[in-house]
Amino acid sequence: MQYRLDLVLHPAEGALLRVIGMAERRGFAPRAIHGAPDAQDQGRWHLQLVVDGTRPPETLCRQIEKIYDCVSVQVTALGVAA
Amino acid sequence: MNNPAPRSAPPNGARWLTQALEAEGVQTLFGYPGGTIMPFYDALVDSQLKHVLVRHEQGAALAANGFARASGRVGVCIATSGPGASNLITGIADAMLDSVPMVCITGQVATPLLGTDAFQELDVFGLTLPIVKHSWLVRSVDDLPRVVADAFRIAREGRPGPVLIDLPKDVQVADASHLPAHVPAAVEPPPAPAEQAIADAIAAIAAAEKPVIYAGGGIALGDAVQALRDFAEASGIPAVLTLRGLGALPAGHPQSLGMLGMHGTRAANMATQEADLLLVLGARFDDRATGKLGEFAPFARVVHIDADAYEISKLRTADIAVPGNVAHAIRALHAAFPAPLAHHAAWRARCAHNREKFIARYDAPGKHIYAPALLKRLSELAPADAVIACDVGQHQMWVAQHCRFNHPRNHLTSGALGTMGFGLPAAMGAQFACPDRTVVLVSGDGSFMMNVQELTTIARCRLPVKIVLLDNSSLGMVRQWQELFFAERYSEIDLSDNPDFVALAKVFGIAATRIDARDDVEGGLAALLAEPGPALLHVGIDARANVWPLVPPNTANSTMLESNPAHVSQETPNAIPA
Repeated sequence: MQYRLDLVLHPAEGALLRVIGMAERRGFAPRAIHGAPDAQDQGRWHLQLVVDGTRPPETLCRQIEKIYDCVSVQVTALGVAA
Repeated sequence: MNNPAPRSAPPNGARWLTQALEAEGVQTLFGYPGGTIMPFYDALVDSQLKHVLVRHEQGAALAANGFARASGRVGVCIATSGPGASNLITGIADAMLDSVPMVCITGQVATPLLGTDAFQELDVFGLTLPIVKHSWLVRSVDDLPRVVADAFRIAREGRPGPVLIDLPKDVQVADASHLPAHVPAAVEPPPAPAEQAIADAIAAIAAAEKPVIYAGGGIALGDAVQALRDFAEASGIPAVLTLRGLGALPAGHPQSLGMLGMHGTRAANMATQEADLLLVLGARFDDRATGKLGEFAPFARVVHIDADAYEISKLRTADIAVPGNVAHAIRALHAAFPAPLAHHAAWRARCAHNREKFIARYDAPGKHIYAPALLKRLSELAPADAVIACDVGQHQMWVAQHCRFNHPRNHLTSGALGTMGFGLPAAMGAQFACPDRTVVLVSGDGSFMMNVQELTTIARCRLPVKIVLLDNSSLGMVRQWQELFFAERYSEIDLSDNPDFVALAKVFGIAATRIDARDDVEGGLAALLAEPGPALLHVGIDARANVWPLVPPNTANSTMLESNPAHVSQETPNAIPA
């Protein structure tokens, strides 16, 4: 099952690594990444991360919420991976 | 030649940091100097901080870890870049997995050299990303006030854990005269749980006929020990404890059924397997506690109360999720159940009956010293508030099963990571945290050798740590698993070439004695505890001794072995009622 994570991250060193690493270690394989720092939002990263996994995505979201550089995370189910 | 009077350190980043540590209430830190952290060590000369020079950086991290576990305060360790930093990693990971508050400071090469493979450059920031609550590579001295305040706040708040500050050498020597004096950040307690969730939990307890409290390490972390005791005694609900929850109810408490799980008591495992409600308080369904998860507590609804919302429904779906302040939640339950419920009476009686029926026996046959009996006696002879640290292996489980803990912080055990070599530095840290209390280390001959160099630190600092070294001349737990689960094909478990531990201890300046006979246990323990300084009791035990009971891996907790089934079949009868 694929999910899209819509993330807002503080522009801190390691923030991207923490989020992507967390997704992988908790059983979700990254399939696509898109995003950039937003000058209109204090330079925060606005990131879309598509992941594929069989575990509950809500659990991953709660774990990513614990990352101190994460401002917000929302998950959207995209369907079964091709 | 007379040494010149030391000059004051310049007001640079390193000096600002030592003053910030003092402002955070740090009195003791554990470390080992080296190239890139030398400005900090220079600033230490003018500092009030007590630095404990260990003999290996892993010892520093684990000593800070033990200091924090025993005291509840933040443990601080420090090392240089490169191998100094990488040697901290096991101690940091251990703290992360057991939720121990630590601030770990590493030197780093100067910022212009970052990314050039400079001498002793190592990306410790990247290496430790998965094993810290948070971390910083400080690229400007101006960032120090924010980083240090956040570091101590994050280490302490919510579910505690380790943080890392990687500090390049040029930042340490940069002018910091313009920085304000450090002000510690406030630590917010976890929010109170939602009232509806508490109401649902109360209704579930009232509706249950066979409720069980399943309490873990989150009780001590949440300062909820007294709240738990008050609630358990008022409600009369039987309780099982995880390895890190031991002591949350005092040893011998009539409602405590003991530890659950792989090496838990039969009474505890039977209760969870029969329960119709699990009241999970600061516990996380660890696989060593649950056995085969799909068959754990098969009849129970789950009320899960935890300060870390992520743990709720991670492994077992909670019927009622109660994220938030654990102590607050328990006090709310206590208010709702000021007296035992009548319809729980038969269940309470059954649990109490099993507790007595399956109580541990100490009349083992044979002539060898029986480690469980020795540990039970050690626990009786030591002061009630003694801190008992242990390493990892068979002796760790014997300590959990047979020592009596009156508070979880009196039991220092590497629960989640299972770090061999944890015990000696952790006991050292605990003795610094609790200088007026008896600190005992129970170790095994495998684990002990992994950080044996810290005997020097103990001797130099005259720490009166008492060491009980259980020696079966083998890696006992590995041997036990090879015996039970690998058809007795023994592979690389022989440690019969161990050094003479008594002679070894004496070389370090530590009093030591060896005992091998049961008749010597009483005198050996008494003499050990009576020593004014550090001392070691080397105890020879039967290399064939195993830890019982045992739930085989990936098996339901109802399947408890009392001996090797290949030798004689004594599986638990009637673990789950027909």
